[in-house]
Amino acid sequence: MSYCVNCGVELDTSARECPLCNTPVWNPRELEKQAVQGRPGMQAGSPFPGEKSQVEAANKKDFGLLMSMVVLATAATCGILNLLVFRGTLWSLSVIGACAVLWVMLIPVMIYTKQSVYVSLLYDGAATVLYLYILTFQVGSREWFFGLGLPITALVTVIAEAAAVCICKLPRSFLTVSLYLFTAAGLLCLGLEMLIDWYLQGEIALSWSAVVLTVCAILDIALITMLSRRRLRNEVRRRLHF
Amino acid sequence: MENIDKKQVREKRGKAQRRDWYQLDLSAIVYPTLQRRDFSSVYRLSVLLKEEVQPDVLQKALDMTLPRFPTYKAAIRKGLFWRYLEPNDRPGPFVQEDVKNPCQPMYFKANNRYLVRVYYFRNRIALEAHHSLGDGTGGMCVLMTLTATYLRLLGHGEIKNGGFVLDISETPDEEELEDAYMRYANAKVCPPRLEEKAYRVRGTAEPFYTLNIIDGIMSVSEVTAAAKRYGATITEYLNAVLLYALMVKQEEERLSRQRPVKIAMPVNLRRFFPSITLRNFITMIYPGIDPRLGEYTFEEIVQQVHNYMRYYINEKLLRGDITTNAATQRNPFIRVVPLFIKDFVVRLFYTKVQDRNSSAGLTNMGALKVPDGMASYIERFDIYMGQPFSRRTNCAIISFGDILTINFASSIIEADVERHFFRKLVKDGIHVKIESNRD
Repeated sequence: MSYCVNCGVELDTSARECPLCNTPVWNPRELEKQAVQGRPGMQAGSPFPGEKSQVEAANKKDFGLLMSMVVLATAATCGILNLLVFRGTLWSLSVIGACAVLWVMLIPVMIYTKQSVYVSLLYDGAATVLYLYILTFQVGSREWFFGLGLPITALVTVIAEAAAVCICKLPRSFLTVSLYLFTAAGLLCLGLEMLIDWYLQGEIALSWSAVVLTVCAILDIALITMLSRRRLRNEVRRRLHF
Repeated sequence: MENIDKKQVREKRGKAQRRDWYQLDLSAIVYPTLQRRDFSSVYRLSVLLKEEVQPDVLQKALDMTLPRFPTYKAAIRKGLFWRYLEPNDRPGPFVQEDVKNPCQPMYFKANNRYLVRVYYFRNRIALEAHHSLGDGTGGMCVLMTLTATYLRLLGHGEIKNGGFVLDISETPDEEELEDAYMRYANAKVCPPRLEEKAYRVRGTAEPFYTLNIIDGIMSVSEVTAAAKRYGATITEYLNAVLLYALMVKQEEERLSRQRPVKIAMPVNLRRFFPSITLRNFITMIYPGIDPRLGEYTFEEIVQQVHNYMRYYINEKLLRGDITTNAATQRNPFIRVVPLFIKDFVVRLFYTKVQDRNSSAGLTNMGALKVPDGMASYIERFDIYMGQPFSRRTNCAIISFGDILTINFASSIIEADVERHFFRKLVKDGIHVKIESNRD
């Protein structure tokens, strides 16, 4: 039995120094025993094991940072190229605009902000409209913008806002959210074809959007069935509860 | 209100059906988000028997015991919005020889997806569990039931069930698996929690794969006598000693700007809100002193801790606290946020705010009781709070019979806080025996 001369605590018989103050334990009556314990790996009396364990290594990649840097680097390098090398037109505006739109869209996903989803969607729509308007300077015509670009962007924004309202305000589970999203996708395709037909031909004749709408309707029916069947619903909810 | 609670308990109690999955409880949501390559929220409970452990019998006992605890025989999985626990029927967990560096990170996909480890070393059985499965009380139920089963397999059939030892042939109660926070988070206001940044111990970080342990073993009666001299309970007294050690350490560092010294201390809510849940049911309180206000004598620190505990540890304020915690999880906007964003925000909040609110952690499991016939086979218990999230030291206290064990676990090289702590106990006339895994 040894005590630390500094701390006054009793030390374990296997201790070679005080764990609290590192003062060596020097018991004149047990010098031989201490010499044996002092050799590496000779902690026979220690209350703790000598072997250390290791755990599997884990890799984590910061995709968010990578994506941000790629977007920023693309915008910056294109701007510099336009200024110093390919000076003919302001082509870099479209690249920088695209990067800006991408960045605006990535903000609520990659960087947490407290802005509501409705405002985010409005910003996204506005950024897209602005980008399309920038493109009109390069194309030299604004007809396509007012006839097609602006209405389609407005349609997408309205449908996205409506879906967001449904998700946030109506009864919500993974299944109901899927139901809203497939309905929105079907309606979006329908609206797109109608706008394109009207712009190109001046009349509406549905074709491909009817197929998409049918697929969405089938998926919607499947989802409604799942919602009405308890076992199916529980299985899906287990995986995707919130 | 108490009558209503008791009625709710009676109504709620029933046998649990096997479930396909379990939602994480309110506390358990946070722990997986703090997971790092070199950190997991893993705690360790161990029991020192009076005879050497037989690994094959221990494995058999573990195989018999763990199915009684469905939320411990589970794997953690990611959903789109939250993580959840899923029953784990893979082989294992397997008992293994103990290691020098306990509480190592527990990766969710390793170890056949089990979040518990069972070790043996000479006459010690140790259980390590991820905090997302449950708190120390739940873990202690698993360890004690495992130990009782192990001892019965060795022929000690006189050991009864009761207390922490559950009947392994019985189906678990539904209430054992409940998220008790949600049952009691019903205060009408959410009291704000304003905690100031606390002093943080400056130390040299140990390399990965190291956890420094210093155990202090002493007599309960000596500690009780010392605490009584200051007019405090054991918990208040030991809290005050740790605050004193941290205060001295801060003074020694001669910082240009001092900060309050505070301890993060979990409170077992089962004492105030009836529940037999084996999952997390704790909340944190932060007793502390502010050296910027003047010099504190030890007696003043004890008085401060004593008053703080009297004021904060009561059913009303604790109910308000858990309601505030639950409000975040109940917020519909937070619930729809994808899990990876929640993880990012929670980790940021914990790192920048929560972790800086305290200088050290301290938990007291109290005096452990074992059922009839078991006490004669047990020497003592140990409890470790595990790897600290940041560079600091954590202190855990448990007592059995007349043996009180204070276990420090730290990830820094310097043992200044531990030294000041134990020297103070020695000065107060307590005989302390030290054991450590430090080289």
